[in-house]
Amino acid sequence: MSCGNPAVEGDALMPRRKKYDKTKFCVKCKEAQGSIVIRHAVYCKDCFSPLITHKFRRGLEPSVNQKADGPRRTALKPDGNLLVGFSGGLGSTVLLDLVHRCYVSMDQSTMPSDGGKNHPRHEKVWNRVTVCYVEISGAFPAMRDRTPDVEQYVATYEGLDFVSLRLQDAFDPNWWNAVHASSDDQRFAADMTSEELRLSKLASTSTSTPLQSLHSYLASLPTATAVPTAIETLVRVLLLHTALQTDSSHLVLGTSLTSLAVSLISGVSQGRGYNLKEEMQEEWMPDAEVANLRSEQEQTSHDTKERRSARDGRRKGYVRVVRPLRDVGRKECALWARWRDVTIIGKEPWPWSGAKQGIGALTREFITGLEKDYPSTVSTIVRTCTKVEPKGESAGLCALCARPMQEGLQEWKSRISIRSRDASHDTPPSASASLTPHLCYACHITLTSRSSRPAPSLGLTPPALSDVPLPVWVGSGMPRSAKLSEQQMKEVVQDFLLEDT
Amino acid sequence: MTSPHPHLGIRDLLQTIMPPRLCALCHDARAILKRPKTGQQICKECFFWVFETEVHNTITEAKLFKPGDRVAIGASGGKDSTVLAHVMKTLNDRYEYGLELFLLSIDEGITGYRDDSLETVKRNQQQYDMPLKILSYDELYGWTMDAIVSQIGKKNNCTFCGVFRRQALDRGAASLHVDHIVTGHNADDIAETVLMNIMRGDIARLGRCTLICTQGEDTIKRSKPFKYAYEKEIVMYAYFKKLDYFSTECIYSPDAYRGHARAFLKDLEAARPSAIIDIIHSGEMFEVKEEVKATQKSQKTCKRCGYMSSNELCKACTLLEGLERGMAAAAVTERARKKLDAEGPAPESLRTIPFFQQSRGPHPSVALERPT
Repeated sequence: MSCGNPAVEGDALMPRRKKYDKTKFCVKCKEAQGSIVIRHAVYCKDCFSPLITHKFRRGLEPSVNQKADGPRRTALKPDGNLLVGFSGGLGSTVLLDLVHRCYVSMDQSTMPSDGGKNHPRHEKVWNRVTVCYVEISGAFPAMRDRTPDVEQYVATYEGLDFVSLRLQDAFDPNWWNAVHASSDDQRFAADMTSEELRLSKLASTSTSTPLQSLHSYLASLPTATAVPTAIETLVRVLLLHTALQTDSSHLVLGTSLTSLAVSLISGVSQGRGYNLKEEMQEEWMPDAEVANLRSEQEQTSHDTKERRSARDGRRKGYVRVVRPLRDVGRKECALWARWRDVTIIGKEPWPWSGAKQGIGALTREFITGLEKDYPSTVSTIVRTCTKVEPKGESAGLCALCARPMQEGLQEWKSRISIRSRDASHDTPPSASASLTPHLCYACHITLTSRSSRPAPSLGLTPPALSDVPLPVWVGSGMPRSAKLSEQQMKEVVQDFLLEDT
Repeated sequence: MTSPHPHLGIRDLLQTIMPPRLCALCHDARAILKRPKTGQQICKECFFWVFETEVHNTITEAKLFKPGDRVAIGASGGKDSTVLAHVMKTLNDRYEYGLELFLLSIDEGITGYRDDSLETVKRNQQQYDMPLKILSYDELYGWTMDAIVSQIGKKNNCTFCGVFRRQALDRGAASLHVDHIVTGHNADDIAETVLMNIMRGDIARLGRCTLICTQGEDTIKRSKPFKYAYEKEIVMYAYFKKLDYFSTECIYSPDAYRGHARAFLKDLEAARPSAIIDIIHSGEMFEVKEEVKATQKSQKTCKRCGYMSSNELCKACTLLEGLERGMAAAAVTERARKKLDAEGPAPESLRTIPFFQQSRGPHPSVALERPT
């Protein structure tokens, strides 16, 4: 119905503007000549650093205390340690530098001058700061393993712990058992050729290595969009579990304003509208069972006690994922690194022809192009997304990405795109036979939505398996078919039992 | 040929080389097309069936109509509205909705574009046997788009056309005494609007752009039965049904920002065809926070023409005043608006839009062109 013609000459609605609006002098000190323009405002080099540290603290510190409304000005008392997700890219390198200056080396230049030296603000906030790097070279045979480089780099910062993981750990029961001190979780595989994603149990005698499982999983993905999305999800969930393992209440990621805008638009384009909030900040609980805790505290108290004792001695509860650079654009990150002499290792380009064809890459290209002509676009996107919230109640967590998911997805899908004339096909398979009911919309799309342009080959040679192994955490959120113990049964019925007197 | 999935079995490999020829839905007839929405290879009859049934599902799920409703189809003569008229008629007969259907066209006054497409609408009137009402910008506002463009140039002209069309449709519908206007907005349009509203920060529109039906306090219902229909499938439907439609882009087209969003959406669709539905799904899954809603302006009535408005004057009256006083930018930029106000109040003799009243009588208050 629109009359818009895509072949347009020039920018008819939003004309290109001058880089700075009024003056060349710094808007803050009004004396020095400016060195950087941040969305039409000019800053000098001296005023730039406090601006960035201020934005960083403002991005992180309001969520440090468990209760957001506590006396944060005087006391930052987190519930646990801090985990820094580090990829080697610009954002996470700047984040690491800021975390180190503000909380580890206690660099005075990063602190506000008011309040005196003994102000409680100058006390250490985090007991332990751990840096976690997830090596993804397992996904691409031609990619170099950079773990030693990263380890060496992180070692140049004093007082930080370092943990390195590999992408294939997501398929390694040994890693899972080490993190969760349990070995009873069953592992699953799924038939990725149908929408239904029929589940099967992975034989405990399965001989495929975690790396082979990773290869099977990635090679089964239908589009160039699905591969980077799946890798991102694996990395994120690996980081979440590492946060649990290191007793960290907070996981910080180096997502800049620009990358946040990209991930929001890319998320919307992949059907992740329900999780926009989590894209910005999220609070994660170990698995669906624990997430249901709040609503079912009474009923599941017994079960929970069991779980807690399994991880005895550890901090219980949640991991808060924060992106403290969400107000700092890519350009500002780059200048911080340059002016503070921070070396950037950089990310290794993906040796894969599909790397630029996916929705994520297309979005990045589109947004960075738009940012050049309309510098306010990225912050507008982020601001808009902070003004919306998910609609309706959540129906638990997605088994794959561990984010809240909504109900009734399959009915919605079969109503708006009919795939069968036979009504019997519409009845969903039982929850134990199919992965689909345990997935959020976006993860289901990632695994099943096809294109006439299939994903370019990753050059992997996975073993020929009819069923593709799923990440180790997929088992933990599934309903267990195990029988209730006598004790549990008694708890259910005890209110109705007459006491023998 | 190398398979992109090296672990596939021989059967899958054969299927890749020699695609199955049978329809994936009826397993009977020969498949002749690949559905853009699902990628399934299906036959012509099944395509008609799924396309129509999906629209029917959309209509029934949202409970859009009740028996006896008078419904106007916003008809431009283009593919979307032509297919909409055809499908609405088909479904109304097949499922006995009991609707009284009308065609409502707006003549923007664009020589070489709208006059030609209106000829198509007049033919549709005959073909579908529906009463037609044409309302022109000239009649309502005293300005044709040709005259507007000659004053303001091509830049921003879509702002005028869009605002004027919306109000003209409501006024046309009111004169037909209809309860409901259906428009041919398709899934691509809606996905594009979701992206655009996020990028422009238009929170009010973002909240309502995925709604299938919008209704203000006293305005006529508007809905989009093609909300989940892919543009490509609408063209396909028109092609196989040999429907008569007019397919030329407007000659005063540029809306640069929408153009950006549209080009981006096409890239996304090429990467993964489900992207269009996925974006709409995203849009349906969030809503504007209550505390943000509280800061939004409440709806008022325009003091000059009685149409719904978020300010003292509705957008159409502001635009018209700017045109009449030779300061067309007044409603487009804040600065120009201030300049206009500084020149004093609107003169008494200013041409205005007739006062809007939604009459609810049993009979249309305007003469209709009956199909002959």
